[in-house]
Amino acid sequence: MGSAVSTEAKDVFKNTTEVVARTESSMSLFGRKNEVISQLLALANECSTDGWDGGEAMALNRDAVRNVEAFIRAIPDDFPLPDVAPEPDGSVSLDWIRSRHRMFSMSVGSSNKIAYARMNGASRDHGVFSFDYVSIPQGVLVNIMEVMGNGITSFRVA
Amino acid sequence: MALLPSGLPDHVDDAEDLARFLVQSKWFKNGMAKPVAFLPYPKDRETSVSRHGQEPADRLWAIGLHVAGDRTLYGVALFKASVVRKEGLEVYPDEPPDFHAVIRDWPWNDSNMTLQKDMQLAMAQVLASEAKLVIKK
Repeated sequence: MGSAVSTEAKDVFKNTTEVVARTESSMSLFGRKNEVISQLLALANECSTDGWDGGEAMALNRDAVRNVEAFIRAIPDDFPLPDVAPEPDGSVSLDWIRSRHRMFSMSVGSSNKIAYARMNGASRDHGVFSFDYVSIPQGVLVNIMEVMGNGITSFRVA
Repeated sequence: MALLPSGLPDHVDDAEDLARFLVQSKWFKNGMAKPVAFLPYPKDRETSVSRHGQEPADRLWAIGLHVAGDRTLYGVALFKASVVRKEGLEVYPDEPPDFHAVIRDWPWNDSNMTLQKDMQLAMAQVLASEAKLVIKK
């Protein structure tokens, strides 16, 4: 006796399941990015005045905060998201830290020039790249991928 | 070698412990201090530290609470002066207050702040990788 479910029905079910999974994944990413942006905005509020450290730290620069938000939104799907932290000169620090010898750090200020440093075991590198507020240079993403080394071999550009 | 009010010598030896107190919750995670915790402050172009190790703990935290003032003291990152010097930076005693020192000679570019920041970040990453994080209970 054959199955009561047709091949076509099975295909529809499979395709629907995949769409739902992708949608949930997108929503999950949307949620994750929003969580990081919420942390960023909370930080901007906490560090909105000079001396937020009890000393001589400068208030977080509003343009820096806006630039970080744009950067986070530009991060591709299925890509690890950074930790954000305030810098004493009012810039915002973004870190991807895999271990104490594998990390990728960025400093985002008021301009579109972003400073970065990479430590991947004994290999170290640093430099500056330009961010057009829409997409992140491929080389930067590859560097982060290599440091985080969590098996990501490809990603979709947002 | 002269002695400072704290009783410490006026030169910081390579083997000395340095303490960077953490007054920002985002400056550490997963058992380590982040590079941002070591970056220099723009006004004096230096990073404030204390010449103190993990023990005696009560004195360490007393110094830390003084540094933190009204802010919450979350913990401390401990590292050797030799690590600082290996990166081309220098540690200078800077009392008062007792035990205070500063990390200076960070790369600085007055005409382009971004050009200096990548070098500073690279050095700060090394300090972060070598520092031991102790959370205040």
